[in-house]
Amino acid sequence: MRKALQHRWVGLLLWGLITALGCVVLARIELVQQRDAFETDARIVHRLLSQRVVQHDAVMATLALLQPAAPDSKPEQRLSALYPQILSVQRRDSGAFWPDERLRVAETLSRALGRPALAGVDFARGRYHLVLASEPTSYALEMDVRAVVPWSEWPMAHDTSAVRVLLEHEGQDWVLQPGRLGQGGWRFDFRKHLAAESQPFDVVARRQIGWNELPWTGMLGWSALVAAALAGGLALMGQRAARRRAEELLRLGQVARLNTLGELAAGMAHELNQPLTALLANTQASMRLLEEAPPDMPTIRSAMAQAVEQARRASAVVSRLRRAVERPDLAAQLQPVDLQQAVQSALYLLEPEFRRREVVPLVDAPPASVTVMAEPVALEQIIHNLLMNALQALEQVPAKERQLAVAVKTAAGGGELAVLDSGPGMTEEVRSRIFEPFFTTREAGLGLGLSLCETLAAGMGGSLKAEQHAPRGAVFRLSLPLAPLTPQGKP
Amino acid sequence: MRPLNAGDTLSPLIHLIDDDEAVRSALTLLISTVGLRVQTWPDPSAFMSGFDRQTIGAIVLDVRMPGISGLTVLDTLVAQGVDQPVIMLTGHGTVEMCRRAFKAGAAEFLEKPVDDEVLLEALQNAVRQHVKSRERSQTNRHAQERYAQLSARECDVLGLIIAGLTNKEIGRALDVSPRTVETHRANLFAKLEADSLAQLIRQYAALVDEADAR
Repeated sequence: MRKALQHRWVGLLLWGLITALGCVVLARIELVQQRDAFETDARIVHRLLSQRVVQHDAVMATLALLQPAAPDSKPEQRLSALYPQILSVQRRDSGAFWPDERLRVAETLSRALGRPALAGVDFARGRYHLVLASEPTSYALEMDVRAVVPWSEWPMAHDTSAVRVLLEHEGQDWVLQPGRLGQGGWRFDFRKHLAAESQPFDVVARRQIGWNELPWTGMLGWSALVAAALAGGLALMGQRAARRRAEELLRLGQVARLNTLGELAAGMAHELNQPLTALLANTQASMRLLEEAPPDMPTIRSAMAQAVEQARRASAVVSRLRRAVERPDLAAQLQPVDLQQAVQSALYLLEPEFRRREVVPLVDAPPASVTVMAEPVALEQIIHNLLMNALQALEQVPAKERQLAVAVKTAAGGGELAVLDSGPGMTEEVRSRIFEPFFTTREAGLGLGLSLCETLAAGMGGSLKAEQHAPRGAVFRLSLPLAPLTPQGKP
Repeated sequence: MRPLNAGDTLSPLIHLIDDDEAVRSALTLLISTVGLRVQTWPDPSAFMSGFDRQTIGAIVLDVRMPGISGLTVLDTLVAQGVDQPVIMLTGHGTVEMCRRAFKAGAAEFLEKPVDDEVLLEALQNAVRQHVKSRERSQTNRHAQERYAQLSARECDVLGLIIAGLTNKEIGRALDVSPRTVETHRANLFAKLEADSLAQLIRQYAALVDEADAR
């Protein structure tokens, strides 16, 4: 019982351990996949935005190149139609002044750097300016951050994606994609400058994997799988342990039976030897006294009286012993027993004995069960003894010639169980005495097994017969009365 | 009833120890038919504390008794130097038990029920053996007493006589005249009550060897 409990605890512990390990692996795989996807998306976003802002530089360079072909044509005013992100274009002709001080500062910077310069970044409104100094006219573009994003090529679903994407510049930020940041768990970050010197914004992507995003279904499945496998293993182990226990019990039972028999014999010897000693001594002393002349008749008479008393004492010991070992009335304990099942259980218990002797039992039984009236323990003992008897007979022939068959059938008026072996068989003299108590052909045998079987069979209203089996070997046939049919038509 | 004690205190006494009353009385009757006296004891401890260790006789001991095993009793008897031979009786003897009994010093090991001739012969043998061993130890004791009466010079002369020297040679060895040796020789023959040289040597050679060894 304690061992079973221990098994259960060990199983539980194992289950917890393997499940935890598997879950960690599953979570890690999931996280790695999520991180890869996130980084790929973030890089795509960075590339797309970089391409866009580089385009702005090109637009400005083109504007600078076109001037001053037609001072009044103002081709720049058509740009907004081509590039939705360009809200407006401003120009400062030579000698004129910028309306905005910030644009002037940017122009100076642009002149110094030789490339467009940023001015008036206002992410709160989603606006910034780009200024390019050139001769004779300098240009400034007012940009709409929202329209900068090429949504058609965007790698994520803008509204539902869990990734938050921002543009950052000197403490300001513009949310390109809100995303969903979960609670707790793991956080991935991506930050990179746009690849345009004129617009050095940071692309920031952020992803927060919450606990709820772990592959719980997979983990649950894994846990169930482990539990099932462990339960199966435990059940198998339990089955094997139970079988070992059963074998052990059987062996112990046999040893106990032998021990009891030995004790009984020793006790009986002592109990009987005392009166026999006195009896013998009294009679022999009397014979000696009778030879004397004249014989001492009173002493002889008293000795003979004692001898009679001791003979009675010995006889009382014998009848007490018989009463002590008398078997309970089997006939009163009969119940319907399935013969096939009884055979199967005996074969199961004796399986190691069969294996050791390299014998494979053949079972010949009808599909319908043969149900007889028997006392289950007595029946089990008979079948067990018959099988052991056959196995011991088979030890005397080479392993290749060993055959053992068990046949169950319904014969005239009863169920019959036959145990056939291909052993040396028996002579007619042995056959006629085989059920006598203490008759044995084996050196170490007690000669009680088959005698007990026959007594038990007769006690249950059946019979046990031994026959020579052609061409070689022996058959033991056990007949028992069939169980009466119940009203349902079933035995 | 036949008198079991036979009135004759010189006849050998058999001690019979068995817990079974019927066995005791039957065996007593049987043993007394050959003129041996029997004293019975129902339990070993009463026997151990009560029996007379000086009488000539033997002990018949049952192996299986309640409380104490016959083999244990045998061991105790041997350890206490009891010289009466012990005959073991058993209801179901095993080879192992038999071996143990003989190793412990049992004179016989018999199985119950025992045949009269077997038992009586074993008893008579045991008694004869006991008488002989008592006689031997008695003779030894007497010889020792006589040997102790010799003077130192007489002991020397006795040793040389047993060594096979003639009077002349003894005189030379002890630096005395042969006549003096002759006197010592006559004295020690008288003290040791020896009739012949052969008897002298048979009885006292062992004692002289012992004295030399010391």
